[in-house]
Amino acid sequence: MTPAPTLAARGVSKSFFGNPVLRDVSIALHPGRIHALLGENGAGKSTLINILSGALLPDEGVVEIDGRSFRGLNPRDAHRAGVAVVQQELGLTSQLSIAENIGLGALPRRYGLIDYRCLARRARAAMDLVGLDEDLATPVGDLPLGRRQMVEIAKALFREPRVLILDEPTSSLSAHEVETLTSLLDRLCAKNVAILYISHRLNEIMRVCQHVTVLKDGVVTADRSIEGVEAADLVRLMVGRDTGHLFPAWTPTTDRDPIVSVSGLSAGVLRNIDISIRRGEVLGVGGLVGQGQEDLLLSLYGALPASARTAEFNGRAKLPSSVRKANALGLAYVPADRKREGLHLIHNIGWNLMLPSFARAFGLSLRDRTKERALASALADRFTIKGDLTRQVQALSGGNQQKVALAKWTPAEPQVLLLNDPTRGVDVETKREIYALLRRLAGEGKAIVLSSSDTPELVHLCDRVAVMREGRIVATIEREALSEEAIVAASMGADLMRTAA
Amino acid sequence: MSAAGSAPRLYWPAQRQRNRGVKGLLTVVAAFLALYAYLFPGLISVSGVAKFSQSWLPLVLVSMAQAILMLAGGVSLAIGAMVSLGAVIAATTMAGPLGVAGGAALVMVAGLVTGAACGIVVVRLGLPAIVVTLAASFIVGGAALLILPRPGGAIPAWLSDSLAGETPVAALLVILAVVLWKLYLATPLGLSLYAAGENSVAAYRAGVPVDSARIAAYAVSGLLSTCAGLFVAAQTGSGDPVIGEAFTLNSIAAAVLGGVGFLGGRGAMRGAVAGSLLLSVMINVMYFLGFPPVAHYIAQGLIIVGAVALPEFTARRSSP
Repeated sequence: MTPAPTLAARGVSKSFFGNPVLRDVSIALHPGRIHALLGENGAGKSTLINILSGALLPDEGVVEIDGRSFRGLNPRDAHRAGVAVVQQELGLTSQLSIAENIGLGALPRRYGLIDYRCLARRARAAMDLVGLDEDLATPVGDLPLGRRQMVEIAKALFREPRVLILDEPTSSLSAHEVETLTSLLDRLCAKNVAILYISHRLNEIMRVCQHVTVLKDGVVTADRSIEGVEAADLVRLMVGRDTGHLFPAWTPTTDRDPIVSVSGLSAGVLRNIDISIRRGEVLGVGGLVGQGQEDLLLSLYGALPASARTAEFNGRAKLPSSVRKANALGLAYVPADRKREGLHLIHNIGWNLMLPSFARAFGLSLRDRTKERALASALADRFTIKGDLTRQVQALSGGNQQKVALAKWTPAEPQVLLLNDPTRGVDVETKREIYALLRRLAGEGKAIVLSSSDTPELVHLCDRVAVMREGRIVATIEREALSEEAIVAASMGADLMRTAA
Repeated sequence: MSAAGSAPRLYWPAQRQRNRGVKGLLTVVAAFLALYAYLFPGLISVSGVAKFSQSWLPLVLVSMAQAILMLAGGVSLAIGAMVSLGAVIAATTMAGPLGVAGGAALVMVAGLVTGAACGIVVVRLGLPAIVVTLAASFIVGGAALLILPRPGGAIPAWLSDSLAGETPVAALLVILAVVLWKLYLATPLGLSLYAAGENSVAAYRAGVPVDSARIAAYAVSGLLSTCAGLFVAAQTGSGDPVIGEAFTLNSIAAAVLGGVGFLGGRGAMRGAVAGSLLLSVMINVMYFLGFPPVAHYIAQGLIIVGAVALPEFTARRSSP
C-alpha cells in the first residue's frame, strides 16, 4: 500500500499487574478503509483502542499518526490529530442538551462564551449525518439507549475526525439505526476517513468492513483483507487455547432429575427464559459479557425482582423472593466481584468463613467460639486455604480469596450452587483446584450453574452450556456438540456457513 | 420545535428544558410566597422587599456556593467557616487604612484563594472532598478566630446602611449573582462542570478540561461564601468569628431541597436558589403563624426528607 497509514500501532505491548494483555501487536488504519477488530472477551481489544486514542500508554512499541511516532500520546494530542473514539460505555451528560453534549470538549466560542448559534448549526449538521431528528435542546437523559448511542457517534463526527474508532457501536441500535450507520460509514470512507470498527456481530463485519485484524489472548492471529474469508475461519482464529491439564477427567453423571425448573422467567434484562437445572450436572452459562448471565443467576437466587410463568425449586412451586428464602431452599451464590460482593475484605478469614452460618443462626443466640474455630479450620483444610485464619481476607491472593468465597457456603450444604465467573483473576493452580472441586460436588449429586466468560472452561467442565444473547438463551449445547467454536458462534449469532460477499 | 430560519434555536430552549425538574418546587415556593404576602401585606413594598431580601441574600449565596460543588461531584463542609472568614476580614479591614474597596477586594481574594486551595488538594491529590473540606473548616475557622478572637471590628455605617438599610440593594445583588452564574455557565469551563460531575472519566476522554473545571468550581464557591460573610458583617455592623457555622448545613439543605444530587451532575442552580428561597420564606411564614421561633427546624427537616422522597416514589411508580 502506497500512502502512510493515518493511525498505526507498531509492536505494542501492555501488561496490567504483570499480566500481559497485548503482546507485540501492530495494526495500521488507512484512509478510506473500514478496518474490523475482532476478538473474544478479554482478547485485548479495549486496551488496544485505549492505546490508539492516547488514553493508555503502551509498555513497549509506538503509536504513529501520519507516519510520525508518538511516545507519550495523550487524549488531547490524539483529538488534535483528528482521532475520535465512540466508546462502548456511554459517556454523555444526561442533564445537558443533545447539542451541548455533542460539542463538549470542543465547544465553539466567541468572546470567551460558548457560541450557541454556531454550536446549534454544527451540532444539527452532525445529527443530520447520523439521522437524529430530535430537538437540539432535548436533554440526553430523555433519550432511549439507542438514540444516545447515535448522539455519541454524532459527537465524534462533530470534531470532523480523520480517524474514527467505533467500539461496538451497534450493541444497542435498532436495525434501522444500524442501516443508517452503515451508509454513514460508507460516506465517511469515501471522504478518506480511516475507520476502526469493533463489533461482535460477525455478519455485520463481513458486510461493512474491508480489512480485518483478529486478536487472541493479546496476540494478532490474522491481519488480512476480508475478501473471501468465511465466518467460520474468523471464529477459528479467535478461539483455541492450549488448556494443558487444567481440567479434571470426569464422566457424565447419570442421576439427572431436575432440581430447579423455571419457564417464562423475566427479570432485569432477561426475557422469557426457560431453564432447568439437574442434579449432578454442571450447567454452563456462556455468551459475550453482559448479555444477562448475572441477572439470570441473581433472579434464581431471589436477589433480583423476577417473574416466571412456572417455577419449581426443590419441590417448591415458586421463585424465591429473597436471598434468605433461596438459602433455605438450598441455593448458594458466589458473585463474580468477590471484593465488593463476595467477601468482607477487612475482616479475617475465619469470620468470612462463618458469615453464612451466622445468618442462619437464630436471632440473638450466643456464638460458640470453639465450634466456630473447629469448623473454620476444617473448611480451610478442605479447601487448602493457606494462611492464618485470623488474617484479613484482603491479604490473601485472588485465588485464595475465591476459595474462601466458595468454602463459606459448604456448611449450609447447598443443593444448587450458582457461580458467577469463579475463576476470574485466579491463578492457574487454584483454577485447577476449583475445577476439581466443582466436578466432585457434581459427582455428589449437587447441581452447579457456572456462568463464565472463559470459553474453554465451559467446554471442558460442563454437561450442557446455555448461551445467552441480549437477555435470552439462544442455544443450549449438549455435551456431545460442545466446542469453543460452537459457543462463540452461538454467542455472536453467526451463521457459520456464511461467506463474505 | 422546528428550526426556524438558518440558525436553529438552542440556548433558550435548552434553558427551558432545565426548568422541568424544578417546576414542582417553584409551585411550592410561589404558594409559600403568596401565603407570606397574605399574612404580612407589608412584604409588597420597597422596604418589605428590602428586609426580606436581606434575610435571604446570605443563604442564597452559600446555597449557590454549595450547589456548584455538588454539581461538580463534590461537597463542602467549610462553607460556614468561609462565611466567618469573610465577615472577620471585612470587619477588621474596612474601617482601617485599606478602606471599603480594599477590604472588599481582600475578602474576595481570600475566598478565591482558599477555595482554589481546597480544590487543588481535592482534584490533584485525589482526596475525598468531604474530608478535605472538613479539615478546611477547622483551618479556616481557626484562621477567622486568630484574626478576630471575639466579636468586634467595625463596618463603616454608610456601607451597612446601603447594603442592609431601607433600599432593596440586596434584591439587586441576588439578581446580579444569578446573572453572573448564567454567564459562567455559558462559558466552556462552566458547562464542563456538569460533564465533570456526572462522569469525569468519560469527560476527560472527550477532551473536557475536567480538572480546571472542578478547581474553578471550588474557587467560585469560596468567593461566594466570603462575599456572604461580608454581607453578614455589614448587616450586623461588626465581625463575629463563628457567625457562619449554621450556613454549612443550611447550604446543603437548600441545594438538596432544590434537587441537586450528591453524586454530581444532577440538578440545576435554579433549584438551589429556589430551595434557599423556600427555607427563608418558611421561617417567616411560621413566625407569622405563631409557631415558636425554633419550630422551623423541625419543619425544615420534614420538608427535606419529603423533597428527596417524593421524586423517588413517583419514579418508582412510573417505572414498570
